Amino acid sequence: MSQPVLIVGGGPAGLSAAQALAAVNQKSVLIEKEDRLGGAPILSGYAKLVPSHEWASDAIGGMVARVEGNPHIEVRTGATVKAFSGGPGDFVATLSDGSKVEAGSAILATGFTHFDSVNKPEWGFGTYPDVVTTTQVEQMISSGGGIKCPSDGRVPDRVAILLCVGSRDRQIGREWCSKICCTVSANIAMEIREMSPETNVYIYYMDIRTFGLYEGEYYWGSQENHKVKYVKARIAEVTSDGKRLLVKGEDTLVKRPISIPFDMVVHAVGMDPNVDNMTLSAIFDVELNRWGYVGRQNAYATLAETSRPGVFVAGAASGPETIDDSIAQGHAAAMAAMGFAMSGVKDAAE
Amino acid sequence: MPIHEKSLIRPENLREQDELVIDGVDVSGHWSTFIETRAVTDYNEAMQDEIAALAGGENIHRCWQCGSCTNACTVHAVNPDFNPRYWIYLIRLGMEDELVRDKDIIWQCVSCNKCTDACPRDVVPEAVMKATAHWLELKGHVDKKPSTHFDEGFSAQVIETGKIEDGLVVRDFFKRMGDPFRPFKEPYLVAMITGIAKRAPIGYLLKMGLALVVRPRTRGWAPARKGIEEYIREVDAKDRKALGLPAEGGH
Ligand SMILES: Cc1cc2nc3c(=O)[nH]c(=O)nc-3n(C[C@H](O)[C@H](O)[C@H](O)COP(=O)(O)OP(=O)(O)OC[C@H]3O[C@@H](n4cnc5c(N)ncnc54)[C@H](O)[C@@H]3O)c2cc1C
Ligand code: SF4
Ligand code: SF4
Ligand code: SF4
Repeated sequence: MSQPVLIVGGGPAGLSAAQALAAVNQKSVLIEKEDRLGGAPILSGYAKLVPSHEWASDAIGGMVARVEGNPHIEVRTGATVKAFSGGPGDFVATLSDGSKVEAGSAILATGFTHFDSVNKPEWGFGTYPDVVTTTQVEQMISSGGGIKCPSDGRVPDRVAILLCVGSRDRQIGREWCSKICCTVSANIAMEIREMSPETNVYIYYMDIRTFGLYEGEYYWGSQENHKVKYVKARIAEVTSDGKRLLVKGEDTLVKRPISIPFDMVVHAVGMDPNVDNMTLSAIFDVELNRWGYVGRQNAYATLAETSRPGVFVAGAASGPETIDDSIAQGHAAAMAAMGFAMSGVKDAAE
Repeated sequence: MPIHEKSLIRPENLREQDELVIDGVDVSGHWSTFIETRAVTDYNEAMQDEIAALAGGENIHRCWQCGSCTNACTVHAVNPDFNPRYWIYLIRLGMEDELVRDKDIIWQCVSCNKCTDACPRDVVPEAVMKATAHWLELKGHVDKKPSTHFDEGFSAQVIETGKIEDGLVVRDFFKRMGDPFRPFKEPYLVAMITGIAKRAPIGYLLKMGLALVVRPRTRGWAPARKGIEEYIREVDAKDRKALGLPAEGGH
């Protein structure tokens, strides 16, 4: 007899897994701790997505609508898993409201947590209101409010985007590249230039990682069509002269210190491991990797395997991922989880 | 600071005060030399647009600073200070003072276009160098070079008559240079004149001499001349406007 698949997390990865399972008439129960589905793109109000240029509310909103209307998927928002017992084919999950869910297998699609810029105090976030994060700028755009300095609502003459905030930084124990923030920043820069052609946008970088096909459209496009300027410098400090923000660092290409005024500074925040990961690791008895993401067992066989048979992982729960890759991994995890759900413990274990 | 290290500082960044007292301490004179900060404190955002508005500068914003142009450059091989990659960067970010500091080298580009072949982003650095030299001139940062005088005389003659007479070009050049001896300080020019004199057949030299007296013209050239002059005026006016300069002046 077929058991449902337990999916934890209703972001792009979880939604995609549920959708894939439903497509082959496999039941699933989708547990989401927030009061609505959609994950980071919806919960944090992203604007237009890379690389489709579709609004997050349309693209991911569409995924949510398809899942919510699907009779094969039971959605439980505002819920978490408190206990998880049993083995492949007959797991039992106890939810935060005390109810129990039987499942043949489980997929952790619990995603990431935005890096909290307060942990890099030298870059002024939390001290100066006009130092913001990419998430805030996404919200300025998606809300239709436009690009305005939070301090006094003026349209900035000059915006600096600092890359790798909370990524690639041994100082704060974050050695990974968050993969998407270069491209997202180039995209945001182009959107700012479109909304406000008077605003000049500078991107301060160590390397530009607009990987694959994003190169031409985002890195080149932002320079060639939108005159976005790239300066190779890791900023040392953001201060203020009382009127504008002062961005200090070294322009490495001309070997010169810089101390340049800006109206707004944007932190391209990285993708931290989900703050719940320690708890999730204990409840589901899955190992985390050395960076704190849910560990994958192997890279070439079943992509989605964790250290516990019958429990799979997809999306940014296992490391910084793009939406497209999270969706693909959701499908891959669905495929792997389905084997356990349909055939029960013995066949699958062999 | 020990005196010998002053050689590491650009002279214009060294400051001595004739009379200055800070917190009761006299810091005047030679023994209290100050060093001006090297920090770049602002970007001139107009600069890239100004160069881009001049012929050849259009693609400057594409540059991603790979250095292929500098590496390929003929002039860089003999003068390491000649660095198109660096100047393009200064222009893109608007570090004007820094660029103007190299005003006496930038024009040395020999237009070999090796950089253009090497550039992965189709910036056409050779054309950018031309636009930059033009910018320096329009902005009054540099005097006209002898070669510019020569080019202008050459072009003026073509526009005027639709023809080129070597003898006239040289004579006109002397006139444009003001100082009759200055051209002899230009080795390439001396080589050119002696070259003509050595190799040209007598008949040709005579013809050249005659041309100094009777100015030959291409028949029916007048409408072409009008068209060309009109075009040059237009381009010049457009360039000056882009640089925020008054309409008159120019060539
Ligand atoms: C500023 C910014 C802009 C971005 N823009 C793009 C873009 O344009 N294009 C692109 O491809 N990628 C973009 N990304 C990356 C994108 O956000 C991720 O790829 C995507 O969100 C990953 O999806 P996910 O489903 O794995 O995780 P998430 O989106 O994080 O979803 C995880 C879900 O699980 C829930 N959850 C977490 N813990 C629990 C728990 N214990 N119990 C129950 N539920 C839980 C969360 O509430 C959330 O709904 C951007 C990232 C950032 C930071
Ligand atoms: S994608 Fe770019 S901004 Fe993000 S961590 Fe990697 S290099 Fe830094
Ligand atoms: S065209 Fe000028 S800048 Fe380019 S390689 Fe030749 S000399 Fe150097
Ligand atoms: S080769 Fe082209 S892209 Fe590279 S530094 Fe020179 S102008 Fe820029």
